[in-house]
Amino acid sequence: MSAAAPSAQLTAYAPRVRARRSISVGFMVIALLAITVSILMLGALIVEIAVDGAARLFTDGGAVSVEARDGSIVSDLPTPEGMGWLRWVLPIAILLPFVGPRLVHSIMADVPRITERVMGLAVVAPVAVFLHILYVRFESAYFIEYAKAVDIDGATGNIFPLFGEASGFQIVRLVIMGIGLPLALLLMGWFWSHRMRKPSLLIPAILIGAWIVYLFMDPWFLSSYPSRSPSGAGIFSAVTGTFYMMTITAAIAFPLGVGAAVYLEEYARRNWFSRMIQVNISNLAGVPSIIYGLLGLQVFVRVLEFERSVLAGACTMALLVMPIIIVSAQEALRTVPPSMREAAYAVGATRWQVVRHHVLPYAFGGMLTGNILAMSRAIGETAPLIAIGALTFIAFLADSPTDDFTVMPIQIYNWVARPQAGFHEIAASAIIVLMVILLLMNAAAIIMRQRTRTDW
Amino acid sequence: MARNFFTVMRSSAPSSTAARPSTSSTATAPPPPNMKEAAAAGVGVHLDPSLEAVRHDLTEDIEMALELRDVSVFYGTFQAVDKISLPIPKNRVTALIGPSGCGKSTLLRCLNRMNDLIPGARVEGDIRFENRNLIDPTVDAVEVRRRIGMVFQKPNPFPKSIYENVAFGARINGYSGDMDRLVEDALRRAALWDEVKDELDKSGLALSGGQQQRLCIARAIAVQPEIILMDEPASALDPVATLKIEDLMRELAEHYTIVVVTHNMQQAGRVSDYTAFLLAGEERVGRLVEFGPTQEIFTNPLDQRTEDYITGRYG
Ligand SMILES: Nc1ncnc2c1ncn2[C@@H]1O[C@H](COP(=O)(O)OP(=O)(O)O)[C@@H](O)[C@H]1O
Ligand SMILES: [Mg+2]
Repeated sequence: MSAAAPSAQLTAYAPRVRARRSISVGFMVIALLAITVSILMLGALIVEIAVDGAARLFTDGGAVSVEARDGSIVSDLPTPEGMGWLRWVLPIAILLPFVGPRLVHSIMADVPRITERVMGLAVVAPVAVFLHILYVRFESAYFIEYAKAVDIDGATGNIFPLFGEASGFQIVRLVIMGIGLPLALLLMGWFWSHRMRKPSLLIPAILIGAWIVYLFMDPWFLSSYPSRSPSGAGIFSAVTGTFYMMTITAAIAFPLGVGAAVYLEEYARRNWFSRMIQVNISNLAGVPSIIYGLLGLQVFVRVLEFERSVLAGACTMALLVMPIIIVSAQEALRTVPPSMREAAYAVGATRWQVVRHHVLPYAFGGMLTGNILAMSRAIGETAPLIAIGALTFIAFLADSPTDDFTVMPIQIYNWVARPQAGFHEIAASAIIVLMVILLLMNAAAIIMRQRTRTDW
Repeated sequence: MARNFFTVMRSSAPSSTAARPSTSSTATAPPPPNMKEAAAAGVGVHLDPSLEAVRHDLTEDIEMALELRDVSVFYGTFQAVDKISLPIPKNRVTALIGPSGCGKSTLLRCLNRMNDLIPGARVEGDIRFENRNLIDPTVDAVEVRRRIGMVFQKPNPFPKSIYENVAFGARINGYSGDMDRLVEDALRRAALWDEVKDELDKSGLALSGGQQQRLCIARAIAVQPEIILMDEPASALDPVATLKIEDLMRELAEHYTIVVVTHNMQQAGRVSDYTAFLLAGEERVGRLVEFGPTQEIFTNPLDQRTEDYITGRYG
């Protein structure tokens, strides 16, 4: 063999390689342009929404307005006295679970870590929840008193139903979903990480930031029901409906999805059957969400007779996000090195013990991350819920999973569709709230992923 | 059930030496008659042609922890190991040496059914362990792995506390005694106790490489196995840590049977009592070339290839 043959090949190939490179540069330029333009457009949109939405979200300071039964708006109610200190106590109470254990640890250097975690969860978190209940009750009591004092008849819909006629169930649910759920998710990501790292102050910083924003917000927007007039309308039922549905969705989809992922990764043999399941999971992830809505309409609403309830919506959403949860859980399982499984098998563990004591705990952070991302996908979904007939005007809180409900994107859709400019403004406000929730969820996912990552 | 394995081997040595084949095809031939006689006599000796390189001039009365007979391993259609027969003497250190890819790890993993975990892997033959063939599917692999522990090439402590690393095996196997004692004992035996006794809550991953490997040894010891398999346990470690592991192996040999894979000749010479030399031909099928007391293998190898490998220091 002479050296001529390979060099002839080289020259034959060289121009093609160069041509391909110029094509790829072209694509890159186009892609960059597209990305830049879309970011600019998105930015402009966000600014517009922010300007519009701020009008309803941030009425000045703590001043609030109440809509009376006759439709008139009583505005400029002053911030209640005595509420100030409670508002500042709460951020500290939220901060404590994160900083507290560290303080304890630095005081008693040899406290075992497990004690530290249990103390953090068992002692400080309930205190935070209790303080929040106290605060909410105090606030609502004040406004009820105030409404009576200024003789606003009933002040419909604008008062937290947490005092007087509110049922215990409503209180528990509001606390669980309003702060318990986000807090629990954050704490779980925090404490579940099998390797305790140095606690960062990022999560408390975000929580406190969010709380401070809340302090300056018009509390009525978050705590009011939809109304005929834009200035009195709020997203209380939409926000609670969203959290209510998401909680049930996660409760259904997470165990099922994780179970499926564990089966596929840890138990299933690599044969045509498991490959077929795998391919179809990927296919399902690509099915348009409206199709899931139609499926939910037939299966959950009609056949199973859930009607257009929270439960039907949650089941439909669970189906929708299941493929995402399965795939991300599988990825999380794959990050656990085979050497961990081998190590466990080598001391006489059964397959289930390997999964239960090692694979699942090590992959759990990644699974939770995937779950949050899936939830943040579901939180913005509108089409399937419209298909199953979620209502757009709900002036009450769902009391049980079989009640009618609404969610934020549907509420936004409803307001945008109205002719009055005032409703467009509060739609923008609702979009801001939705985006903040989404950003918080994604931030939580990122933090969780970093905190639970193990450098094997 | 002490048995003079090697003495029996010597008595039948002439015939097997005469039949000394160099190709594998004879390995599939029916066993010679004298082997049947030996088997009929109930001495449980297996005269596979590939055993011809097993030393017969041993006089030591010794009990066997394991006896491999005609062990072949396949990964799908690829045969990695061909009909290896080998005794593993009890409470001794046996080294498996040979160049990379000759099937040392593969053979080692057979001994505690770790190959079960590799899809498509298949093991044939007979590995005698207390009169049972531990390859047999009716034998519980979990039980086998509890009694035959393993230490891997790359230290792989669990990302849990040092204490949990050691306690895990005992806990899942239903150990109900004093766990603190057990953890301490295991760590002491693994020569790690003095270094970690004040920080048992620290993550196993926070230790140095050598400490991690000793933690893995402690983890293996804590389930009280009879045999410990080690796959190049020091290859990822620095010289000082390597020496510590080697010393440890010598100490452990008082209580445990140790099978260690190494491609480091000096290490095999230093730590092992017996050595098996494996080699793969062009078809990459690993076969046993020679087995015997380490000293004999190193100073007076029977097979030319063994001598080449030991003196040439390739691999
Ligand atoms: N899981 C596996 N699947 C397929 N082939 C394998 C696998 N593990 C090892 N082998 C092959 O088996 C042969 C022996 O490998 P191994 O036992 O790891 O050798 P050694 O430990 O002596 O270096 C090699 O040819 C290797 O490529
Ligand atoms: Mg190897």
